[in-house]
Amino acid sequence: MIKTALSMQARSRLGRWLVSGPPVLYLLIFFAAPALIMVLASFRTPGDFGGLAPLLENGKLDLNLESYARFFTESVYAQIFVKSVWYALLTTLFCLLLAYPLAALIARSGKKHRDLLLLLVILPFWSNFLIRIYAWMIILGPNAALARTVNGVLGWFGHEPVPLLFSSFAVLVCLVYVHLPFMVLPLYANLEKHDRALLDAAQDLGAGAWQRFWRITFPLSLPGVYAGAALVFIPALGIFAIPDILGGPEDSLIGNVIKQQFLETRDWPFGSVLSIVLTIAALVLAGTAAWVGRRSLGTPSSAEPARA
Amino acid sequence: MKKLISMLAATMIALPAAAAGDQFHLYNWNNYIAPETIKRFEASCKCEVVQTYYSDNEELLAKLAAGAKGYDLLVPTSNAVQALIKGAQLKPLDKSQLPNLKNINPIYLNTPFDPGNKYSVPYAMSTTIIGYNDVKMKELGLPTDTWAVIFEPKLLEKIKGRVTVLDSSSELFAAAFKYLGYSANDVDPKHWDEAAALIKKAKPYWAAFNASSYIKELTVGNIWLVHGYSNDIFQANLDAQAAKRPFHILQGMPKEGAVLAVDNMVIHKSAPRPDLALKFINFMLDGKNSSELTNLIGSGNPNLDAVKYIKPEILKNPAIFPDKAVEDKLEQLNDLTSAQRRLRNRLWTEIKAGR
Repeated sequence: MIKTALSMQARSRLGRWLVSGPPVLYLLIFFAAPALIMVLASFRTPGDFGGLAPLLENGKLDLNLESYARFFTESVYAQIFVKSVWYALLTTLFCLLLAYPLAALIARSGKKHRDLLLLLVILPFWSNFLIRIYAWMIILGPNAALARTVNGVLGWFGHEPVPLLFSSFAVLVCLVYVHLPFMVLPLYANLEKHDRALLDAAQDLGAGAWQRFWRITFPLSLPGVYAGAALVFIPALGIFAIPDILGGPEDSLIGNVIKQQFLETRDWPFGSVLSIVLTIAALVLAGTAAWVGRRSLGTPSSAEPARA
Repeated sequence: MKKLISMLAATMIALPAAAAGDQFHLYNWNNYIAPETIKRFEASCKCEVVQTYYSDNEELLAKLAAGAKGYDLLVPTSNAVQALIKGAQLKPLDKSQLPNLKNINPIYLNTPFDPGNKYSVPYAMSTTIIGYNDVKMKELGLPTDTWAVIFEPKLLEKIKGRVTVLDSSSELFAAAFKYLGYSANDVDPKHWDEAAALIKKAKPYWAAFNASSYIKELTVGNIWLVHGYSNDIFQANLDAQAAKRPFHILQGMPKEGAVLAVDNMVIHKSAPRPDLALKFINFMLDGKNSSELTNLIGSGNPNLDAVKYIKPEILKNPAIFPDKAVEDKLEQLNDLTSAQRRLRNRLWTEIKAGR
């Protein structure tokens, strides 16, 4: 009896390894190893024709903190960093404001419409990301209907015409546009599971619409909000294509600066430093946000039984 | 179907004796060889030309530095050739295989970055100049033969938000140096600060730093003045004419001088087929073959034998075939040292971060 139980246990352990092994291996090879290479590169010296200088210089190991020192002494890089965090936060906030009502609407609509609406949310993914950004160039161009209308209205109030394309406005609009589905989908997945009986009960007990939302729906949806915020904030922080294509002369973000280190400046160590700082910043910010959110609005686990 | 054929071709080159499956890997700028030229080369070498593209010398250098292999021939600009030679990345050329080298204008041979053309042979050229909407610039009475129109706030006031400059620190600093009367390759940090100050003063009037979509913006009439590559400006005009726009996009050669970019054919040391690469170089040094590129994209041509095949309107264009006085003021960019590149990047980041 004991023997068979043991072998069953061993077999299930083997099964677990077989199932989890490949993804773990994949992450080790394609995430952990490159990240370690990047960390090592950040302590090395740039090569004159690109790449890195040899690790062993006259038998001495060539590792130094120069690139880190540079990040902390030349304030312009930190300044761009702060600006990028600000853009990513704004993007996350606008995505949340736009996605929440949309996700709620989809979650509450009938089964037939729900599938169609979800399809429409993911429809943009069917065309290439860059093509969609280029399409915004046409929408925001100075001779397009949008810019003419906006400037026509501004003209009424005696305001100078403003350019929409090549501006921070264009960058933000497109950042929100590109990341919106990443906020809608986790929110929908969460909101769809809510039990309507809870809202009915609250109504019976005299809660108004706002109270029902703020004290029941919203706290229950927090896991979806966190997931969506992380999915939007982290990629928005490192993006370079949107500011490159739609931004004006001031709209260089940290992603653009990192790209420059690997191309024009041929400074891989400094590019690695910037990437590491970016990764740490994203982790710290996401962690802090989740922690603060949980403290101020009660832990999701205390709300959990209500869902069941 | 095409995929199937290329898969078949791939399996065929895996077999050692299958000569019919020969492939020649050309790592080139986008739209930098005429399609009919490729067809004729394929017929003459009995091989298939496989092209991959880069949009920037730095992209090519970064890819090779990261260990990319399998390219037979590259067409980098001189300063990138300089970096590749220093990095011992190139294979010396066997000149006995290149009888057509005699067609190249000697002033483009034996340059300081590759004495005796041990590794490189010129392919085509472009300049970094001013491109403009002729109707708008005439209407506003602005000059188009000086960098002042890119850098002087007094002139820029009239075209605020209608100007783009290249998103390239080396090109923009070179233009600023030329305007300030220095060499495009100036390395005096004081002059760099001066150029950065000039750029910062002009920046509020520019719509964007743009190296990718300014051709289209010129063509549709959103942007009226650019700091850009001569080939791109030539293309913008072709597009504007094809779309029957009521204006032309013209090339303006600044009287202060400009950057000349000579692109060169080089063979990478890891080239699987250096024999085909040499055949290709000799083929492209032929006047007729070389002229087809100039006729297609309006590139400058170092090949004396090509002149007789080039369309007369291109030959007459002073921005493509400059006269002696202008030619003397053109400069090729040198490669910077890594310390210089770091300083340049700090200035560039400050320029971009500032309001």
